[in-house]
Amino acid sequence: MKLLSLTNRYYLASILPILLVGGFLAYIILRGIINHEFNEKLFAEKKQFIHEWHTYKNLRETLYLNVGDKIEVKAVEYDPEIGSILSDTIMYDSFEKKELPYRLLKFSHKFDDRFYLVTITKSMLPTEDLIQGVGQIILILIAGLVLSLGFVSRAISKKIWTPFNNTIFSLKNYQIATPANINFDKTTIDEFKELNRVLIHMIDKSRKDYVSLKEFTENASHEIQTPLAIIKSKAELLLQNGNLDQENLEDVGKIYEAANRLSRLKQGLTMLAKMDNNQFEEVEPIEVAELITSSLENYEELIAMKEISLTKTYNSSPTLVLNNTLAYVLVTNLINNAIKHNLKQGSINIILNNDELIIENPGQPLSDDPENYFNRFKKGSAQSDSSGLGLALIKKICDIYDMRISYTVNEAKHRIAIQF
Amino acid sequence: MNILIVEDEHDLAESIIKYLSQEGYHCEWANSFREASEKIHLHTYDCILVDINLPDGSGIKVIERLKRVKSESGIIIISARDSVEDKIIGLEIGADDYLTKPFHLSELNARVKSLIRRRNFDGNNEILFKEITILPQERLVTIHGEPIKLTKKEYDLLLYFVSNPNRVITKESIAEHLWGDHMDMADSFDFIYAHLKNLRKKILEKKGGDYIQTIYGVGYKFTRF
Repeated sequence: MKLLSLTNRYYLASILPILLVGGFLAYIILRGIINHEFNEKLFAEKKQFIHEWHTYKNLRETLYLNVGDKIEVKAVEYDPEIGSILSDTIMYDSFEKKELPYRLLKFSHKFDDRFYLVTITKSMLPTEDLIQGVGQIILILIAGLVLSLGFVSRAISKKIWTPFNNTIFSLKNYQIATPANINFDKTTIDEFKELNRVLIHMIDKSRKDYVSLKEFTENASHEIQTPLAIIKSKAELLLQNGNLDQENLEDVGKIYEAANRLSRLKQGLTMLAKMDNNQFEEVEPIEVAELITSSLENYEELIAMKEISLTKTYNSSPTLVLNNTLAYVLVTNLINNAIKHNLKQGSINIILNNDELIIENPGQPLSDDPENYFNRFKKGSAQSDSSGLGLALIKKICDIYDMRISYTVNEAKHRIAIQF
Repeated sequence: MNILIVEDEHDLAESIIKYLSQEGYHCEWANSFREASEKIHLHTYDCILVDINLPDGSGIKVIERLKRVKSESGIIIISARDSVEDKIIGLEIGADDYLTKPFHLSELNARVKSLIRRRNFDGNNEILFKEITILPQERLVTIHGEPIKLTKKEYDLLLYFVSNPNRVITKESIAEHLWGDHMDMADSFDFIYAHLKNLRKKILEKKGGDYIQTIYGVGYKFTRF
């Protein structure tokens, strides 16, 4: 959810009850005022009526008057002893032709020793209309407020969040491996200034960590070289020693073997480090089909021995501009991978289209998400002769040339696809 | 045969000297650029092994000096740098071969032998091993004078064995010798076995001796008995 819609939602949630309570209070207060006015009017009418009744004789014969307000005069035998009674009632209105609320004022009056009971009835219809009107006004106010709030906050947020969006944009394009510094747009908002400051600090720190880690990997893999060469050569010399019995010979053989494995591992790591340092900048056009065919020659014997059936389908003959070494490493690692993790009497299916290279082979199901195997040292099995760098190298090379690589396993069918 | 080893790492130099001495070479060691410069002016060597990274200068300069005095010595660079560019630079200034550290001593030995052979006889020499004769120029092998037909890999394998007679040759070094370092180790061992079986059969068919001895868990040995 966007921050804007969230804040709007909160605004709305807090404004609505205020408006509702306010509306309700306005209704109560208004009704109180109107009621009060109504009663005052009724009492004023009572006064006026008594005055007029006393003054104009001909009025005295009129016992019933219906001119908006109904006035009914009834002569009674005895004193009802009523001061003034106010009450609400519902009566049929012959003009509006429906039942309507009325308020009536009842009082008794003595005139010429006779007692009269007078009832003044007043229609409450205007009150109802007024209250309805007030309700409508409140509703219109709510709608107007909400709409303008939405518009205003949208406009404000667009302006206010610009530096934030710029920062996000810069971060998205930032790559720690590239030496270029990151720049954020200047902003006057303190919070964003702080954000940019913290980000730059953090990036500087991660850059430093990254560089020192890279240097460590490079130095370690370089420095490992000499002791490794010594171990290897001493082990090889020991093997020539005729006094060793079979058991010792095998032990030395194992030392030798382990040193070799370490040396291959080092080669892989050096390769990756060099790629990180962009040391493979020289490029040349390379025909992919030709590269695959010539690389496969090295594996002919192996493929034959493992009884793997190889199918090559070149639907197209794309030429890519790549570094020679990297292209070779990419293709040989792909082939190596397909052979190594194949089944006995399995198959390899190489499909080359204009914009993609697909290599399929049957194999053991994976215990993990195939994409994870692009990480260094992620091995499918405890096969000790596997360096765990093959797919990492493949992935790295694809990254360098912005090629999309995907690794999927479908019912024991492994499929690596590279889109160039 | 005199060999100069220019290598600052004492233990490694010692291993190389031991291995090559057993082959009958006379080895000398220089542990710095200065010492190497002195030695190449005082003596002549059939082969010089040069490490590029020396504490007081580059091995490249040693090679340049050798070329300036029109030295006839064969030059093999032994370097920790494994990039194609480094190899090209090394070979361009006149080195004959380039071996990346860490290497197999048997591989180094085979390269030294091949280099000396090429230098001394312009490649027209024969390699004799009892009844087996190898003519490297023609890539031809005869047994009791009769030529046998070998595949490229079988030929390389035989030459590698003959260059390292009576040595325990590890399967790793054979694999790298035959396929370079891009081949998967575990797979290549099976191959070596298959190729050896064929090679042995072909030699035996021509009444040659069975010289290939398996050292279980380690590799093979080509023995003269």
